[in-house]
Order: sequence, then C-alpha cells, then structure tokens
Amino acid sequence: MSLDNLRDLYQQVILERYKKPRNRGKTDPVDRYQKGHNPSCGDTIELTLQLNDAEDQIQDVKFEGEGCAIAMASVDLMADALRGKTTAEALEMVQKFQAMMKGEAEFPSELRKLNVMQGVAQFPVRIKCANLSWHTVKAALELAKDVQPAGFISNE
Amino acid sequence: MTFTQEKTLAAQVRADFPILHQEIHGKPLVYLDNAATSQKPVAVLNALQHYYQHDNANVHRGVHTLSSRATDAYEGARDKVANFVNAASRQEIIYTRNASEAINLVAYAWGNSNLQRGDEIILSVMEHHSNLIPWQLLAQRTGAVLKFVELTETQEFDLEHFKSLLSDKTKLVSVVHVSNTLGCINPVKEIVELAHHYGAKVLIDACQSVPHMTVDVQAMDCDWLVASGHKMCAPTGIGFLYGKLDLLRSMPPFLGGGEMIADVFFDHSTYADLPHKFEAGTPAIAEAIALGAAVDYLSSLGMDKIHAYEAELTAYLFQQLQQIPELMLYGPKPDSKGEGRAALSAFTAGSVHPHDLSTILDQAGIAIRAGHHCTQPLHRHVGAQSTARASLYFYNTREEIDTFITSLKEAIEFFSGIFG
Repeated sequence: MSLDNLRDLYQQVILERYKKPRNRGKTDPVDRYQKGHNPSCGDTIELTLQLNDAEDQIQDVKFEGEGCAIAMASVDLMADALRGKTTAEALEMVQKFQAMMKGEAEFPSELRKLNVMQGVAQFPVRIKCANLSWHTVKAALELAKDVQPAGFISNE
Repeated sequence: MTFTQEKTLAAQVRADFPILHQEIHGKPLVYLDNAATSQKPVAVLNALQHYYQHDNANVHRGVHTLSSRATDAYEGARDKVANFVNAASRQEIIYTRNASEAINLVAYAWGNSNLQRGDEIILSVMEHHSNLIPWQLLAQRTGAVLKFVELTETQEFDLEHFKSLLSDKTKLVSVVHVSNTLGCINPVKEIVELAHHYGAKVLIDACQSVPHMTVDVQAMDCDWLVASGHKMCAPTGIGFLYGKLDLLRSMPPFLGGGEMIADVFFDHSTYADLPHKFEAGTPAIAEAIALGAAVDYLSSLGMDKIHAYEAELTAYLFQQLQQIPELMLYGPKPDSKGEGRAALSAFTAGSVHPHDLSTILDQAGIAIRAGHHCTQPLHRHVGAQSTARASLYFYNTREEIDTFITSLKEAIEFFSGIFG
C-alpha cells in the first residue's frame, strides 16, 4: 500500500482531531445554525455560530455530526481557525480553503494548522469531504439574523 | 480448504476481462465492487462493436438488409433473456433501461389503474431505493399505504412478520430476491405463494440474483421480475422486465411514442402487441444485443457452476473476515460451504470510517464500495450511517481475497495507531 501518499492525506493532526475533536457541541447562544450534509456518503455537520453584538465577528464555532476522518478533522480545525475572525475574514478564508483544495493556495503561518488539509488535494474524490464544513459556514454567515435555513447545504 | 473449481472457473475466465489486467496506484487491480456493476467480457464488447460496424440500423422499420439484421439480433437477444429466466413466452420480456425503469413501468402502468386509497403495498426494510421510491410515489398518487417487513435476528427477511402484514388489503408485494447490503437470499417462492393466497401481485427485484444463480420465473411464480444488464456482464442502459403474459396484456402503456403503436390517428391510437407495447421509441439496440451476448457468455459458463464457485469464495471470504475482531459484519453468516447468502459482505471496521477505508484500499489497488449502497432506510434500521462493502463475482480469486484481507488489516492498524 502506498503509505507515503496516505500519510500525506491522513496526517497525525487529522487523525487526532478525528479521534478527539475539540469543538464538538453547540454554541451558547446560537446566533447562526446551518446543517451541511452530503447524501451520497452520509457526512453530516450541524454547525452553530456565536457572533458579537454587531454580528460582524465570530466569537465561537461548534459542530455536531458524523462523517469520515477528513470531514470531521476539517470542521474541527475550521472551528479553531474561525474563532475571533470577522465575518469578512471568514468568508475570505472560505475562498482560500477552496483554492487550497485545488492546490492553488495555502494559509499564512498564523493559520498554518489548516495547511494539514493540503494533502486532500491529491485525492479528488475526497475534496468534498474537506470542503463540506467550509461550504456550510459560508451559508451560515450569509443567513440573515433569525432566519431559519431552508434545508441543508451539500457540495456533492 | 479445497478450491476444486477455482482453477477451472476464475482462471478460465480472467483472460476474457481485459479491464482486470491493469494496475491501480502501481498495484494489480482487485475489483470487489461487483454488486454495483460487473465488468464486461470481450464477447460482450465485441457484440457492441460488431453491431455498430456491421449491422447498425433502426429496428422494426425498414425492409433493407441492415434493418432486418438489427431487428433479428435485437429480437434474438430477447429470446436469450426469455430462456435465461425460463419465461413461458418471449413476449413476457420487456427491455427497459435498467431495473429502476422496469419497476417504474409497473408502478405507473399497473399501479395507477389498480390501486386505490387504503390498499396496501408490502415491501421490506432492505429494499434498494429503486424498489422503494416508485412505490412511495405511487402511494402519494393513489392513497395506498406502504408496509415494511422487518428483519429476523440474523438480519434476514422475517417471513413470520410478512405473514402478519398480509391481509385482503394487500394488493402488491415488491421485494428483493438477494439483498445488495445484507446479502441474504429471500424465500421468494414462499413469499409469492403467501401473497397469491390473498390475491396480491408480487414483483421480485432480481438485480443481485440473476447475475449469480439460476433464476426460474415459472418456478418462482412471480408476477413480475426485474433485473439490470450491467450487473450481469452486459452494458449499462439495458435491463428487463419479466411479466406474466395476461397481466402485461391487461396493463395500459407506460410511455407513448414510436415503436409501441399499431395504428395512429390524430385523436387516438391502437397499440402494438407485447412486448413492443412497452418499448416506446428507438430502443437501446446495441445494448440489448450485448445483453444477449452476456446471457450467452454466462450460460456457456453455467449458472450452477458460477453459483458453486461463488459459494466457495464466500466461505473463504467470511472465514477471513470473521478473524478480524474490529469488524462488524451485516447479514446472515454463510454455512461451511458458503451457501445461505450472497458473495458479498457489508461491514464496518471499528473507528475507520468506510470512506477512509475505501481510500486506503484504493491505494492498494482494491475497489470496494463505501456508503449506503442505495439502502439508506436499511442502514438507519440497523444503526449504521454507512458501511463498506466487498462484493465478488466469478472472476474473483482467493488470492484477491487474501490481498483485500491483508490491506484491510493494514488499514485498521494504520488508524488504530492513533486510536489504540
């Protein structure tokens, strides 16, 4: 088995986050809620955000859900990275992450933890697993206050 | 254990499947996703090419030679399919795109005109979405009610529960012959007999049985039976519906268009006799002819031989899988001869998610399925979000099972380094 390739994909940090996520749960209060779900593989993320009073900064991000190691590590790392970011910065990070999945970008050193996901770019069928949480947070941030999302976000 | 037939069957046929002789990520391909679709032998590929190079013309139209050849080959393939499942008449075989289309045909053509509010349709919890959604839609159109047969402790069709669901309200029973997830072989003969006692019609989804064992529609006495060509060595885009002649005659057309008519006027039409009444438009001619070639190929090997060889592989596969403590296996266990279930295994591997497992095995050249295998309600029913599935066909070998088992153990170890 090509273990080198697999070690690129399943870096230690990814496996650790899969095993022991740090951001499971629900924010208090829940200022935004969005479900992300890829029906064909079953990955499901229920994302909650806590915003500041002006609603232009993310104070906390939590998730519940089930899925593969890539999807679960991605959402857990994302939650860490987004805490304290303005909503504008967060939306830029969404774009950067998606570019990184095409092998076209990486995060600067203060966000370098997210770069462990770079190996996924070599596994095209798994990119959707890594991207699901970022698609979901984008939808959550684009929701107006007190609006219930119509359904779930999917990137299949 | 002894593999008396392996050398004679897998070794005999592997040269017929060019696709199997390639490397994936530098490793020989081990194709264990046969329940999703089978590979195609040269005889089938040649049938497609021969048709387009020599005989291509529209069927049942012209009087010219090519049209006549195309029609003969297309209708000849129907005879082969009819013989293969032992239909009483060639008119009982309707070509469809796949099994899903065949089920939809029945749901519309028969269901719309025969079901009323309060009538009951019995399915099982193990149905493929293709044998569920058409009936959900029919229930929405007619007000009929769906009932579901549950599983026994060994995750097989619960015949006792089925009996308790049957009543005079039951108008239709539609169940899978062999489950694509649990691998159990359902007692279709008993199911048909019990249902007929209440006057209910029975449709059998035979997608996972027709490719692997002798299926006899007259012995089964089912009212309809459906199968997909691509799971039995034929191309995609072709499948068939078997139906009892009188029943098919009584059903109105499904799709309208060319091919299915007798006389057409501006305001009304009369329809062609069976089987063409249900084959509107130019059909998948090459694919139907290639389905005939696939049937010839399977028949030349012998369905009983295929089944016996697959049973040996099943016994070996389960012997190996049962030695891996992290695995949870779904469906019934095979007996010591590998009988009593299909040559496939859906499983979960402890903390290794099926998608991660599939990626890891792919790096070793091994193709398995990961996900819900189009049986989401069943997965919920047995409490699994998704499963991994290895499914075999007669060209698989014991050595391939060894490769799969070795890589499966490595994958579990790879993850348990973290989880241990």
